[in-house]
Amino acid sequence: MDPVIDVQGLKHVYTDSDNNQVTALEQIDLQIMPGEFVAIIGANGSGKSTLARHFNALLLPTEGSVKINGMDTLEENNIWKIRQQVGMVFQNPDNQIVAAIVEEDVAFGPENIGVSTDEIRRRVDDALRIVDMEEYRTHAPHLLSGGQKQRIAIAGTLALGSECIVLDEPTAMLDPKGRSEILSTMKRLNKEKNITVVYITHFMKEAMQADRVIVMCRGRIMMQGAPKDIFSRVDELEKIGLEAPMAAKFAYELRKSGAKLPQGIITNEELATALQ
Amino acid sequence: MSIKLEHVSYTYMPGTPYEKKALKDVSLEIKKGEFVAVIGHTGSGKSTLVQNLNGLLHPTEGIASLDGINLADKTRDAKMARSRIGMVFQYPEHQLFAETVYEDVAFGPRNQGLDYDAVDARVHEAMKFVGLDFETFAGRSPFSLSGGQMRRVAIAGVVALDPDYLILDEPSAGLDPGSRNAVFAEVMALYKKRGIGIVMVTHSMEDAAQFAKRMLVVYQGRILIDGKPGEVFLKEKRRLLEAGMDIPEVYKLADALRAKGMRLPNDITDAKLLLAEVKKRKGLK
Repeated sequence: MDPVIDVQGLKHVYTDSDNNQVTALEQIDLQIMPGEFVAIIGANGSGKSTLARHFNALLLPTEGSVKINGMDTLEENNIWKIRQQVGMVFQNPDNQIVAAIVEEDVAFGPENIGVSTDEIRRRVDDALRIVDMEEYRTHAPHLLSGGQKQRIAIAGTLALGSECIVLDEPTAMLDPKGRSEILSTMKRLNKEKNITVVYITHFMKEAMQADRVIVMCRGRIMMQGAPKDIFSRVDELEKIGLEAPMAAKFAYELRKSGAKLPQGIITNEELATALQ
Repeated sequence: MSIKLEHVSYTYMPGTPYEKKALKDVSLEIKKGEFVAVIGHTGSGKSTLVQNLNGLLHPTEGIASLDGINLADKTRDAKMARSRIGMVFQYPEHQLFAETVYEDVAFGPRNQGLDYDAVDARVHEAMKFVGLDFETFAGRSPFSLSGGQMRRVAIAGVVALDPDYLILDEPSAGLDPGSRNAVFAEVMALYKKRGIGIVMVTHSMEDAAQFAKRMLVVYQGRILIDGKPGEVFLKEKRRLLEAGMDIPEVYKLADALRAKGMRLPNDITDAKLLLAEVKKRKGLK
């Protein structure tokens, strides 16, 4: 199987407002396979969002390459195809709404790439059904809750035919209910529709549910692996401004006090069972 | 000293088809020296509530006052009263505008009519407070700083106003755990050293549990629950979940341990206590 996202030796340098050359990303090698659910975590300024913007050619490599389904982002002819295949959802739901009615908002993408009217209708209906927003079809998006608005944004990428969705802190501005709506929607899309998900977040509880966690630090990938391997590295995470889940911290402290606990405890249930 | 709401209702766009009643007959007193968390889902009315508390919005019905001065009045006293309640908006870094950090922090005190030396003293003090070294940062463009640093500049701008009350809207949204702890360390220092009143709107149950002494749960334009966070999270779990809220992780972990048969006291409200209890049960030191 070929990767959806294939990053080789990526370096990203930009010029800041004081005219300094800043290296935001360096030595990034990364493959994301179809159907994977990958979480990216890291402190503010670690390069997470910069990396995500390379996945649909919003940014282009200074050195190295980024390929989406084999298409190089540096090749200008590929850009529109790449942006159809990789959809982006950003942090602030209010910045992503373009229309006054939900279904028109979702239809905006396919309309722009010249999809036929019947096909648009079908795609919009499908997309709204998948994110469970059918009943709000004719509502005004600005009156919806944050979680609902984000689900409209997700539906927009689905209507465009995206096979991969990159979400950059989609829940940072949401209330607890909104947060769980977004995560469960993405897990369902991943399982049922085999959508590849790249999920950037500051909430470790969300990252714990991914297949693979990538930890960014100062523009580089510092570690990656299964959640249970990453989140049991309590000390290392804290050093770079992150926090392990409470159960993992407890397991770590209890082991220091002499408790014999199995490795890889990160959920409350795992800890409770181990202590039974 | 207190901010008081008496039978306050607030209606957006009254008399139009878009009329929306966002607050319904809310009465509330917040004293100087209190640390109050306000939680509630999107659209519950919590933002409308805090904007009535600091005079950005004036009640449609009822009265909002500070030490007996009606915040809606057009008098000099009312203007002074409103300036004693500082507000740090959500994503305050988006509101930085000046060419240098110094100018940004100086903007508020200068508008209060302070002279050059007084403004300068306030800027020095405020920057020190939020941990931004004067020599390093005063002359820099705020837009060349990291997200966490920008947020500290924005907080310094409000600290420089020397307010008696501070309203914080989602102070930890979008911050990594390390930056969140740094921002809260400053807020707590301000709270303790100056004894000001703090009202914090948050979606984070962890922030509410860890820092606030009192918690208001806003639901459908009313105050559904008003109590100490520890007690509310222990006793009102069902009503919190119904209001679209959650409980902090430590309560969930304690519940999971109890479900597997560990006997724990009922009143565990923080992680240190829970860890100590678990060690005791397992005979660890």
